[in-house]
Amino acid sequence: MITTGSKLLIGSAAAAWILAAVYGIAQGGTLGSIGLISAAIALSLLAGINVLARDSNVSATEPAGFAASAAAQATARPSLWPLLVGIGATTMTIGLVTNRTFFTLGLIAIVAGALEWLIQGWSERASGDEAYNARARDQMVDPLELPVAGAIAAGVVVYAFSRVMLGLPTKTATVTAFSLVGALALGLGTLVALKRGVSKATLTGTFSIVLVALVAGGAVAGLNGEREIEQHHTTGDLAAKNECSAEETEADENASQSVASKSSVTAEITYQNDDLIAKVPGYNGDFDQLTLPRSNPSNVLFRNESDEHARLVIELHPATDDNGQPLGPERVCTALVESGGTQLLTVVIDRPSFAVEEGFAFTVAGSDAQLQVVVP
Amino acid sequence: MSRQVIQPEKVRTDLIPTEPPTHRSGGSRLRTAAFGLGATAVLASCATDAPQDTWAPEGKYAQDIHNLQWPIFLIAGIVGVIVFGVVLFVVIKFKDRGQPIPEQGHGNALIEYVFIAIPALLLAGIAVPTVAEVISLNDTDDAACVVNVTGQQWWWEYDYPIDAEGNICGVKPTGEAAPIITSGQMVIPVDAKVVIRGTSRDVIHSFWVPKLNGKRDMVPGRVHTWNFQAKQPGIYAGQCAEFCGLSHANMRMEIVALDKADFQSWIDNQLEPYQSPEQGTLAATGEQTFVSQCSRCHQIDGLTNADGELVVASPEQFVWSGAAPNLTNLMTRNTFAGATWDLLTEDCRADVWEASPEEFGAKYLEGVTKSCLNEIDLKEWLRNSPAKKPMYTDPESLDDTDGKTRGMPYLALSEDQINELVAYLIERK
Repeated sequence: MITTGSKLLIGSAAAAWILAAVYGIAQGGTLGSIGLISAAIALSLLAGINVLARDSNVSATEPAGFAASAAAQATARPSLWPLLVGIGATTMTIGLVTNRTFFTLGLIAIVAGALEWLIQGWSERASGDEAYNARARDQMVDPLELPVAGAIAAGVVVYAFSRVMLGLPTKTATVTAFSLVGALALGLGTLVALKRGVSKATLTGTFSIVLVALVAGGAVAGLNGEREIEQHHTTGDLAAKNECSAEETEADENASQSVASKSSVTAEITYQNDDLIAKVPGYNGDFDQLTLPRSNPSNVLFRNESDEHARLVIELHPATDDNGQPLGPERVCTALVESGGTQLLTVVIDRPSFAVEEGFAFTVAGSDAQLQVVVP
Repeated sequence: MSRQVIQPEKVRTDLIPTEPPTHRSGGSRLRTAAFGLGATAVLASCATDAPQDTWAPEGKYAQDIHNLQWPIFLIAGIVGVIVFGVVLFVVIKFKDRGQPIPEQGHGNALIEYVFIAIPALLLAGIAVPTVAEVISLNDTDDAACVVNVTGQQWWWEYDYPIDAEGNICGVKPTGEAAPIITSGQMVIPVDAKVVIRGTSRDVIHSFWVPKLNGKRDMVPGRVHTWNFQAKQPGIYAGQCAEFCGLSHANMRMEIVALDKADFQSWIDNQLEPYQSPEQGTLAATGEQTFVSQCSRCHQIDGLTNADGELVVASPEQFVWSGAAPNLTNLMTRNTFAGATWDLLTEDCRADVWEASPEEFGAKYLEGVTKSCLNEIDLKEWLRNSPAKKPMYTDPESLDDTDGKTRGMPYLALSEDQINELVAYLIERK
């Protein structure tokens, strides 16, 4: 008797041989042919072993063993996994003509469904003991199934929550809602912890309602779209418009005076007493000239220790194309930094100092302060 | 799908296949184990030429790490031997021979306290000197020399800034001071605290010269500092230690330590003005070939074109990282292409690497002479660099990088052009 497992392997081996032949003739790719032929050989070998071993350790000469053998058990019970495979195939087909995402989701559904179905089929005939088979199935699948299911659930919750937050009309409403949800979760958790003997059904029901509400809210918010987020001008806009003067602009009004990145900068440049001084990590003391690598974004931190607003500027003298047009920005600058304020400026210089007659220097708009920059 | 949790005693054991009988005796197993251990010990001692041996420090910081890791490895080894010994004893002593499962005991407070206290004490004992050492390794105060290090796929650039006193790496140049830029080999004064300020132009790299210090990541947009101090003159090999793409394995580096007088000579030599080859020579033709074929990306300071104008390379237009090695003093280095190949022949290389500390400086400062030039590798590189070092340079696969390559592309140079370039480059000292 040829068992189901053997039939599967024989079919796979035959398919691999046919594929190898078709691929070899049609495509002529050496690597692909080697791979397919290797797979065909391996599958043929496994099929042969399986047929000889009768898919179990029951000897063919031992009639008493047949009744208890895995191969003698009833065929696998009905399963919902083929349904998933079918849905996956349909989604993948639709995805072929519409959207790559559908194609990917369909492919994942087919692979997941087929794997689950195969493992179910195998586990239900692993032995003559149903309980043992169920445990074998769990041992095989749980390490994969549980983390994946957990990740999907977490992803759904996070995504739905993010849609709700981004859908709220104002930033203040978002902060308020976030605080309320946090407080609610904390309060609920505290109540559950304080009250002894809360039934499993109550907890499951509560969490189910919360989950459904969250997913529904996420769906509604997602369909409504995100709130309009106003785009502010940046100091990049200033440079593009050649507005790096001492005058205040709209971009300066909107500019943040706080800096996120304060560590690992190339240098800290301080404006004080109408002078620019650099401190460079790795050096002791102050510097009156900076060395910056060529064609590499260098972050400098500008500290305004003067009594007035100040803006750090550097002329970049960019390379030009055949028509004399600059290939990069002509200058970059910080926003107008308030007294005692700090801002980060990213500088990319694409030419060595010796190639530029004027050289490079940081300056402060409306001041004579200057800090030479050397680009090797 | 039903999931039924069942108790062990309900599992039918008559259906579980039993292990086939083994004919191997206990003596045979012991012999196999002893052979395995012996072979491992023998193989472990095979590395005689190990320039990147982390257990052979040659500088202060590597020595400090070494002094810390030795006792930690010793403690870990002792703990490991005890744990594995106990496990082995239990496995053998209480092997399943069909005996009934012994009565299970729970909650021996004394044992639990002891088993918590011992690891806690060990970890605390290890943590204190480790944290102190980490802080000490990061202390960049009182550096005698600072070098800016920039990583890119797949080579390192070193530039030596001029400090407030007009010194370069703690040395006052004999002539006018100017920034020095080099690649492949970073030259430092011996016995001096050297701080590197490292960053990257493209992806994360990691600077690692095991005999002088541990690893330090070089991250785009950030400047990370790290210390080096070599005990004696010599060459110390390193390797990029953060996977950075196709030729990560070919991104090497070497630190060359010279005594103070030799380092002064090196600095002065690097600042020598450019010398054009003698007119009418092969090298002079090579200079023009360099201008037409190589200077789009590679800078040679002082090089002028036929109109007498300074030639300024524009690697940012052709290379994804925006830089290519500066070749002004190429033949003062011993390596090329990310320190992956030697510019010296095997014998000449050995002569430099194996020189005594007293002789090393003079031999290194000789640079690459015509008789010592490794023409085979250099010409292979000029002939078809992507075939020698894997790089993303296929013109048909550069859509993601706006047509820019990640290394030196195939230039289709003729053999005559290659000979001219070699004749020109050998004079770049």
